[in-house]
Amino acid sequence: MSPFDLKNRVILITGASSGIGRQCAIGCSKFGANVILSGRDKGRLNETLGMLRNDENQCHAVMACDLTDYAEVERMISQVVEKMGRIDGVLHCAGISTTLPLRSVSIGKLEEYFNANVFSAYNLTREVCKAGNFSKEGGSIVFLSSVMACVGEVGKSLYAMTKGALRAGVKSLACELARKNIRVNSISPGVVITPINQNLPHIAEPERREALESKHLLGLGKAEDVANACVFLLSDASRWITGIDLCVDGGYTAM
Amino acid sequence: MEQKFLDLLKEILEIEDRELLMTDNFREYPEWDSLAYLSVIAMLDEEYGIQIEGSEFKKLKTVGDLFSVVTKK
Ligand SMILES: NC(=O)c1ccc[n+]([C@@H]2O[C@H](COP(=O)([O-])OP(=O)(O)OC[C@H]3O[C@@H](n4cnc5c(N)ncnc54)[C@H](OP(=O)(O)O)[C@@H]3O)[C@@H](O)[C@H]2O)c1
Repeated sequence: MSPFDLKNRVILITGASSGIGRQCAIGCSKFGANVILSGRDKGRLNETLGMLRNDENQCHAVMACDLTDYAEVERMISQVVEKMGRIDGVLHCAGISTTLPLRSVSIGKLEEYFNANVFSAYNLTREVCKAGNFSKEGGSIVFLSSVMACVGEVGKSLYAMTKGALRAGVKSLACELARKNIRVNSISPGVVITPINQNLPHIAEPERREALESKHLLGLGKAEDVANACVFLLSDASRWITGIDLCVDGGYTAM
Repeated sequence: MEQKFLDLLKEILEIEDRELLMTDNFREYPEWDSLAYLSVIAMLDEEYGIQIEGSEFKKLKTVGDLFSVVTKK
């Protein structure tokens, strides 16, 4: 058996209705996982479901849920465990992004972004780690951070703070959950064009896009590039890796 | 209402040295750039509960056009 194999593993993927999360779901299904697709838009989650490999012994599920509604999250996790068994891996791709200068970042915006990107991730982790929910053998939790957690750009302070918080949380969670054999890591992608950024100036304006592309030594990435790294961190191939951030950025942060 | 709108716009565009007029073409302001655009979109949403599509926004030329979006609501 390949160390990358995810056969019989129950993997919960948030943000599975779009972009990177969707591609990760496809990737995990190819490696044999039983995938739970989570997001708010049921229609797009079902579209993702239709894209998954679905061999005889595989079983996938769609669970629509707003991750900022904590009661809903609690219900979702108990349904997952009831329907699919204990969870072996969590890939938290759900997130929101914006480009806004300091002057426009109100306290309301701070709350909105921290709720969506940080509090939801922490609450989800708490729920999946509650007694009876995570596999007794342990497993892997992966957060999607961003290169913006370690380098800067004009208008990215709000987003960067939320992604930095995730990256910072990973190390202490790794220390705390190691005794349960649960590994906790993050992935920091460079730019991959998805609905999250297609209308933001760095993608929508040709000049800015060109400048951005030149900052990625290997060009802009594809969702598959991130998905492959996610499969690695979810699988036993990374069984001796916890508390790290893996930059998958085409060299953006090498310069 | 009109004055409040002009004050908000001035603040969001960080204009200190002059008053804004309804007839101004805001795209010609030296302060106008893609970040200013996103700031105005965020201001319309937060202050007035208005979400405006990029294609709709492109049609707006003057400060008065912007204000009419607010009053039409
Ligand atoms: N694309 C990039 O260049 C890039 C770079 C660095 C990091 N990232 C990170 O990678 C992750 C995935 O990004 P993406 O590019 O795939 O973005 P995307 O296509 O916009 O997908 C975002 C996903 O998050 C879900 N989501 C947002 N708020 C939610 C909420 N309150 N409850 C439940 N689900 C919610 C959305 O689901 P619904 O629409 O169904 O609600 C959607 O599936 C994000 O965390 C992002 O910050 C992306």
